[in-house]
Amino acid sequence: MRKLILLFSLIALLLSAALVSGGCRRQERTRLEVTEEEPPVLASVVHVADPAAAAQLLKGFHGLEQGSWRWTAGSFAVALQPPARAAERGARLVVKLAIPDVVLQRLKALTLRATIDGTALPPETYSRPGDHVYTREVPSSLFTGKPLVVDFALDKTFAPGGGDQRELGIIVTTIGLEAK
Amino acid sequence: MSRAWRAATWIAPPLFCLWVYWLGLKTWFYQDDFAWLHLRFEIPERVSFWTALFAPMAQGTIRPLSERAFFMGFSALFGVDALPFRIWVFLTQFASLALLNAVTRKLTGSPVAGLLAPILWTAHSALAVAMAWTSAYNQVLGGCLLLAAFYLLVRHIETGRRGFWIGQWIAFLLGLGALEINVVYPTLAAVYTLAAARRHFLKVLPMFLPAAAYLWVHQHLAPPASSGIYGVYLDGALPTTLWKYWEWALGPALLERVPLLPGWVVAAGTASLSAGLLGFAAWKLKRRQWIAAFPLAWFMIVLGPVLPLREHVSDYYLTVPLAGLALLGGWALAEAAGRNWPWRAVAAALAGVYLVSSLPQARSWTRSRYERAREVRKLVLGVAHAQRIHPGKPLVLLGVSDDLFWAGVFDNPFRLVGAHEVYLAPSSDAVIQLRPEFGESADYVLPGKIALTALANQQIVVYQAGGRRLRNVTALFEEIAARLWAPEEPRLVHVGNRLFAGQLGPGWGDIEGRHRWMSRDATLRLGGPTGPGQSLFLGGYCPAGLLAQGPARLAVAVNGQRLGSSELRLGDHRFELEFPLPDHLVGLPVMDVRLELNRTFTPPGETRRLGLVFGIVRVR
Repeated sequence: MRKLILLFSLIALLLSAALVSGGCRRQERTRLEVTEEEPPVLASVVHVADPAAAAQLLKGFHGLEQGSWRWTAGSFAVALQPPARAAERGARLVVKLAIPDVVLQRLKALTLRATIDGTALPPETYSRPGDHVYTREVPSSLFTGKPLVVDFALDKTFAPGGGDQRELGIIVTTIGLEAK
Repeated sequence: MSRAWRAATWIAPPLFCLWVYWLGLKTWFYQDDFAWLHLRFEIPERVSFWTALFAPMAQGTIRPLSERAFFMGFSALFGVDALPFRIWVFLTQFASLALLNAVTRKLTGSPVAGLLAPILWTAHSALAVAMAWTSAYNQVLGGCLLLAAFYLLVRHIETGRRGFWIGQWIAFLLGLGALEINVVYPTLAAVYTLAAARRHFLKVLPMFLPAAAYLWVHQHLAPPASSGIYGVYLDGALPTTLWKYWEWALGPALLERVPLLPGWVVAAGTASLSAGLLGFAAWKLKRRQWIAAFPLAWFMIVLGPVLPLREHVSDYYLTVPLAGLALLGGWALAEAAGRNWPWRAVAAALAGVYLVSSLPQARSWTRSRYERAREVRKLVLGVAHAQRIHPGKPLVLLGVSDDLFWAGVFDNPFRLVGAHEVYLAPSSDAVIQLRPEFGESADYVLPGKIALTALANQQIVVYQAGGRRLRNVTALFEEIAARLWAPEEPRLVHVGNRLFAGQLGPGWGDIEGRHRWMSRDATLRLGGPTGPGQSLFLGGYCPAGLLAQGPARLAVAVNGQRLGSSELRLGDHRFELEFPLPDHLVGLPVMDVRLELNRTFTPPGETRRLGLVFGIVRVR
């Protein structure tokens, strides 16, 4: 045992010396995480799990779950690149979403509203659990050449409880503008 | 026993520990780590060296060795490079494993038990916190010093050598600087000597004196909370809390967090492991091997100090108590290995239940902490890089999730890398849980009106977190921010921050550091309260010169209506004043706030008439 203690002490001493002698140099060399300074290239369709599309999730999205979807808060927004010729023909807003049974057991029904630059699109109420697609026509007058900011609002939210007090709304996988 | 086998019994536990917690070695900083890392920068302006080392902090804890000195020393040498910290934590734990191995051999006489005890201890998922969070070094060092003191006591009893006795005292006293629960060491020593070396019993009693003195000082400096999450409750809940810890200590109960696992599986696992451990101890006691009670006593005694924290039952408190049960388990397995096959089969089955319920959790919890810290590192060192590219410009962050906020924003790690003005984007706190016991995420959010003005004036740079790297999205936000952020009046004004200068009326001096002086009276603009019962908070600093002729009085009015006044009596002290806001102000888009002092003063070498130093004004 004594030999072991000596061995441990020696190892600790050597490591301490190595750590201390390298300390100042390491401090200088702490590698920074390089940032991406180029403006993001916006997509017309955003997969919420795509790290490249993170810049388009403007507000109200919780962290990525199981590498494929996100919960939203009661209010959320995305930036979308208008598809080709949208200024002439308009486009179709498509949101792929899911509402778990446990949510509707608590909330009974959920209404989703979308607004683009102050123009409200028709809302939709969901009272059945499962996968849904929210689809709305977006008039050409709303496309001005700039990225489109789509604001979404839910009439109800819930908190899971049990230490998780996040404001949760619906599960979203994809939001996009489809050309017509 | 061959030389190679002997060496293997010492080397195997650290190797096993490395295998289980490998990612813990590479885990970066998160949460409280940043507060400890920043401590040395607060000397001497905010606190003295001795205050930093010994004043109660973080729920009234005083751990100069395992937190203050550890973080201040290592951060002075290595900055925010986490690897040296982590290597040191692992080395300390390796020493603990060797000590548990040695103690088990001494108590049981079995090298096999000595090998198995540290392996069983390592396999428990409760150690994942200590092995993957640098702030939990207190558990690792505290456990190491407790085991060291006990090992030295055993050696002293065995050899009679005075050096071991002195060493035991040193380890015990150092342990008090590592973790509060080490105060129970004299009780452990007393129980051990009663069970195995009665003629030494009286000799250990003097150790209760420093333990009592420590408790008295601790009680005096940091009285225990009587309510809240760290409240101390000596009530009927103690047995329930003890049972919860016992269940967790055996392993299967931790599987309750695994969905779809039938409850009876957990109950059966707990019952069989309880029967195995307690049955083995009872069998040994029946044969008058009193030392078999000691591992159970270790568990109970070391766990004792945290049992009254009924609102904060945490598996990580099991880190050190578990060493006792691991000793008993290792002994039981070693005994079974030398018996006929039915006993071996039962022992193997019980060991299997324990390992299956603990080991995968230990590895997955270590991984989740590693991944959380990796995201924090990406954010903090990304901000450091962004600040180098945009020196002097405040940074605004989007896409900060709830977990990332509490792990990597709340403790303000950015100041460690030279970024002193980092905000969350307007309304981005909607995805962050309220945790009023820690603080308010709203304090970190740049109000919409301020953000829009600053963006238009090219005073801020906007970055998106949550992608592969931090991405500069300023250009995008110059196009879309006006459609996204509401230009509401802020309900929080950092008086000494240039971004908020537009909220200030007459009566304020220039920015000095992060503050401004007010003269006799000063005005500013804020948004109205969002609901009834809110107050106006003022935070700043009262110079002693202002009080040379007695207490000063600060009166506050909103929209011409007097809210009240407050007397300032403490010179050279920070102040925080609260004035309840009348309900008729709720929902007002803007309030004009007027602050008026009854006197001013002129410090030596100044020509200005000065009043108070202000930092923050807010509605909450």
